[in-house]
Amino acid sequence: MLTAEEAADLIEAIASRQDRAAFAGLYRHFAPRVKAFIMRGGTDAEAAQEVAQEALIMVWRKAASFNRSKASAATWIYTIARNKRIDLLRRSARPIDTEDWLVVYAPEEEDADKSVLAGQTYTRVKELMGGLSVNQLVVIQKAFYEDKTHTVIAKELKLPLGTVKSRIRLALLRLREALEKDET
Amino acid sequence: MSRHPAPDELLLDYAAGTLPEGPALAVALHAALDPAARQAVDRLNAVGGALIERETEASLDDAALDRAIARLDQVAVEPRATPSARRPGFEWAPSPLTPHLRAGMGWRRILGKFDEIRLDVPGDAYRVSLLRLEPGRGLPEHKHPGYEYTVCLQGGYTDATGSYGVGDFAVGPGDQRHEPIADPGDPCIALIVVEKPIVLTGPWGRWLNPLVSRGII
Repeated sequence: MLTAEEAADLIEAIASRQDRAAFAGLYRHFAPRVKAFIMRGGTDAEAAQEVAQEALIMVWRKAASFNRSKASAATWIYTIARNKRIDLLRRSARPIDTEDWLVVYAPEEEDADKSVLAGQTYTRVKELMGGLSVNQLVVIQKAFYEDKTHTVIAKELKLPLGTVKSRIRLALLRLREALEKDET
Repeated sequence: MSRHPAPDELLLDYAAGTLPEGPALAVALHAALDPAARQAVDRLNAVGGALIERETEASLDDAALDRAIARLDQVAVEPRATPSARRPGFEWAPSPLTPHLRAGMGWRRILGKFDEIRLDVPGDAYRVSLLRLEPGRGLPEHKHPGYEYTVCLQGGYTDATGSYGVGDFAVGPGDQRHEPIADPGDPCIALIVVEKPIVLTGPWGRWLNPLVSRGII
């Protein structure tokens, strides 16, 4: 197992001294998880492995842009893997430049206090997800794992679109309220 | 928090990576301009991170790590990304727009009423445009069978649903007719992502619709 702090240390070791042992440590922890995550969307094992491989290579390339006060290692790697999956699905002639996304997620004018809190968000989100109702967790998991929009989820669960939307809203509201309570 | 945030389920689809590129660009701009939206997207990304962490490991073949390490010789660790400078002439454009802006792009006057820059965003289900309206000017009344996403980037506009300022997000089923008017002050610039096709409903619509459907206006 790798704690969030240890994972962040490894990314920083890549950034500061191109540490290959650190890369191997990150790879052993995250590559199999990313592969499993991608496979839940119905992607075959071979393609999922390619996404995991490319995502971890991207982690190496972009390590210097990682900022532990803005996102946890798992969150950062999630956004990279997600973009790699989009590229794979679209076989896009113009792949998403991860840097463009990084700029969105690390905006210039962010105030310092808020960004410190953002680093803690991940730990709390992880805890809070355990407290969601099964119904709420299912819609969120479907959205993330299975790569489906809420319209498709509604069809699959044989629920009205409005019900899916309100479950998503309630789940996100619970997360938001709990996080905002922490911040005040 | 902006007066008009994007709906939660749209932010979720964005963070999950399931939105088509047009609407995803609209949400990216909203998140770049509105701190509350950015925070919401950060939270959703953290949900994605937590889901990865909770994942049980899929087996990787042993050679995969060796292959990855062998590739590192060819892959440089890049210096920290610096925020890209805003393009001259496009100072109002937040960074997610930058990859879509090209040298020589200019405003085109449409129907004598407003200016447009059509963006080349992959996928053909959406028409993605930047629109510029002088204060007091309006868009031709229109409707469309699909969804319309609007993010205000400069100035502001008002329609029957309310007043929208920089960073505000509007999503409308297009079957509602609406006629936005630019507020006083700077010209209003907005990104508009419209699910095709678009139908003009004003008195000239009948004559202009064939041009719209062929992408001429």
